[in-house]
Amino acid sequence: MKRKDFGALIIVPVLSIIISFLIGCIIIAALGASPAEALRYLWKGAFGNIRNLGTTFSRSTPLIFTTLCACFAYRCGVFNLGGEGQFLIGSILACYIATKSPLTGVPAMLLCALAGAAGGGLWAAAAGLLKIWRGQNEMIITIMLNYVATLLMGVVYTNWLRDGSVPQTIAVPDETKLPSFLGLRATIAFPVAILVGIAVFYFLFSTSGGFQLRAVGLNMTAAKVNGFNVKRYIMMSFIVSGAIAGLGGALELLGTQLRLINGFGAGYGFDGVAMALIASLHPIAGIVVAIFFAALRVGSTTMQTATGVPTSVSDIIQALVIVFTVAGMAMVKLPEFKNRFLRKAGMEG
Amino acid sequence: MAVDKAADQILRMEHITKQFGSVYANRNITFDVRAGEVHTLLGENGAGKSTLMNVLFGLYQPTAGDIYVRGQKVKIESPAQAVKLGIGMVHQHFMLVEAMTVFENIILGDTRSAGIFIDRNARRKEILELSQKYGLDVDLDLPVTELAVGAQQRVEILKALYRGCDVLVLDEPTAALTDVEVEGLFEIMNKLRSEGKSIIFISHKMREVLRVSDRITILRAGETVVTVDIGELTGEDLATMMIGRQLVRSQYTKAESKEEIVAVLDHVSYHKNSKHNGLNDVSVNIRRGEIVGIAGVDGNGQSQLAMLLTGNIAPDEGSMELKNSKVAVFDPNAFIQENVAHIPEDRNKSGLVGNMSVADNLVLKITKDKRFSDGNGFHLKKKAIRSYALEMKEKYDIRCSSVDQEARNLSGGNQQKVILARELEAAPDLLIAVHPTRGLDIGATRFIHDTVIAQRDIGAGVLLISADFDEILEVSDRILVMFEGKIMGEYSGKNPPIDEISLAMAGK
Repeated sequence: MKRKDFGALIIVPVLSIIISFLIGCIIIAALGASPAEALRYLWKGAFGNIRNLGTTFSRSTPLIFTTLCACFAYRCGVFNLGGEGQFLIGSILACYIATKSPLTGVPAMLLCALAGAAGGGLWAAAAGLLKIWRGQNEMIITIMLNYVATLLMGVVYTNWLRDGSVPQTIAVPDETKLPSFLGLRATIAFPVAILVGIAVFYFLFSTSGGFQLRAVGLNMTAAKVNGFNVKRYIMMSFIVSGAIAGLGGALELLGTQLRLINGFGAGYGFDGVAMALIASLHPIAGIVVAIFFAALRVGSTTMQTATGVPTSVSDIIQALVIVFTVAGMAMVKLPEFKNRFLRKAGMEG
Repeated sequence: MAVDKAADQILRMEHITKQFGSVYANRNITFDVRAGEVHTLLGENGAGKSTLMNVLFGLYQPTAGDIYVRGQKVKIESPAQAVKLGIGMVHQHFMLVEAMTVFENIILGDTRSAGIFIDRNARRKEILELSQKYGLDVDLDLPVTELAVGAQQRVEILKALYRGCDVLVLDEPTAALTDVEVEGLFEIMNKLRSEGKSIIFISHKMREVLRVSDRITILRAGETVVTVDIGELTGEDLATMMIGRQLVRSQYTKAESKEEIVAVLDHVSYHKNSKHNGLNDVSVNIRRGEIVGIAGVDGNGQSQLAMLLTGNIAPDEGSMELKNSKVAVFDPNAFIQENVAHIPEDRNKSGLVGNMSVADNLVLKITKDKRFSDGNGFHLKKKAIRSYALEMKEKYDIRCSSVDQEARNLSGGNQQKVILARELEAAPDLLIAVHPTRGLDIGATRFIHDTVIAQRDIGAGVLLISADFDEILEVSDRILVMFEGKIMGEYSGKNPPIDEISLAMAGK
């Protein structure tokens, strides 16, 4: 990694977070509460004790999966916005297997995970095929497939797997529920997410395949002229990113939610896209960013209970972080900015 | 003073200089247009034609120099102002709103309406009169999407006339037209001329230029070479003026290879009817130990020839042999496996992955090699890659602050050296080099020529494509001339007959 780029990639998000928190503090003060107090409870709620830490990990798990999904696809220049749909397909398949198949326990878990990944991968592959064969824009297709997946889930929890009179599916049996991770509220889905992140990191930066995939993402023409099978890499990035999201969906169902219900998984796909961008498409940084956002979400409840500052303040901070980071990244890429600031600061390679 | 010279002079650009940073796109260009003439601007890509016209049309402000319209010194700060001064421009890529009808497109931006309503009938009558007067036949009520390219062009011309232009700039107007449409355009141009309108015609197609022009101004490397009356000019004269007179003596020893043939094109055609982007019945063979130079004005099929010889496109007709076996699959990777090296035309677009490091670009094709990874690419040996990159940096004199620097931040010459190192390190059997020194300084150019000659001497067959005639003469052992997708002739690289080659480049 180049020194100056690395600098910008770290400095921009950190500055964005600081500015976002400052603005958050102003809002909190305007609400008549003490910003220091509110932030203290925000921190406490997210990391203050082992229970809260577990909750933060648990909340971060699906976000890590969708963030990795976006990282992987975007590295190959594929704008997969369908993380959410792929996530849902994974959870729907897991729900079927967990509740309808004779298997229980570890074999069921493994099968659910496998089916979830396969389902997510296939769901994304549909968009990949349309892009490669017909030149369709993958952003549109993947977003459309999100709606299809959401509505499909609707049919599942209102009809096919409905639990009596309530519009939700029957619950995953206790034996098939994912075991807890180190006795925390998080399940083993959390370490699995981190392992997947490490695997993505290794693949992208330490294998020839990942190297070529990144080259395709950065300059498709040069990749083609230099003999890479561009279509194969594009297809692969659809399938693998979809599989990561699908696996995330399956594990979220087995570990945390246990049933499909209205609103399950909503927003995770786009959250993942934003977090991947903040992390500059770096998988390990993506994990950190996902945990950070989960912490803001978890901690805000404690903040609200203790200080009366509404959780929406946390939402505002999250949104500001995204806005500032994306804008900041774009700004440092401007030639004028580079000339004026980076050179003077001696950061230019 | 400018005014006195010719009373009928409608436009004069004097000593125009336009600088972008340290690069001169135009340097001290003087150019004038008389009423009722077709004045051609002729020059290679990058000679500065478009920049000059953008200055005229108010899209760029000149760094220095003045513009006079009808003897009055003017400062043109926007296209709207240019239009007001009677200058109309038909861009190479049309500026039409596709979903609107022809009529709507023409009156778009019309500022003559007094109120908020448009008097459609009066406007329509006016446009119809113009279209009849100049033979600009087009259905006013059709949406632009339904028109052929030629008709869209007529709409553009009509639009310019409707706004009252006296000087019409046509930027490469024939590039997208069929032969029949070109004839139609020429008729229109003749009518416009006979009605006293002036046309600035931008082109690099000599045949057309000779047919329609009254005067020709030739630009080369941002400067005016000469302005000439068409008189008894021939294509050969034009070619010579366009590419410049060369030093004839090469500093390299020319080879006369008797070694085996490494690549053969046998009556190959690709998009045969496209004169400027196709190949028409091309037969070439390249031996080991020789450099075959392809001379010709840019855009006569050279790019397609290079893409074909590197597996990036497949021929429509004819066949290719590589190292004595017929090529079945045209795929870049298959050619790379056959040890074909490629220095592509556009180093940023297709040569390098600019956002990757110099080291990454050096090993771009060979990451699966045992030297650079274990388990067929499963684990990259980053240290080995780095030390290889340092070795290449030394050997090919790549000047960069570090091999971890992004390739896009290197100068053009050093970028090209990265590509050379990557392509030549494996001692290719066949090297396809396209414009390898375009935009480079003398030092880098010399280094690249030396390196390519060295490859020839260790037995590579080299095909060199260049729009720089000097370069072709300098290093080629055999010279082929391309014109409109065809091979016009073959000449020895030793004491090449410059005049004959110039003729061939003009299609004679």
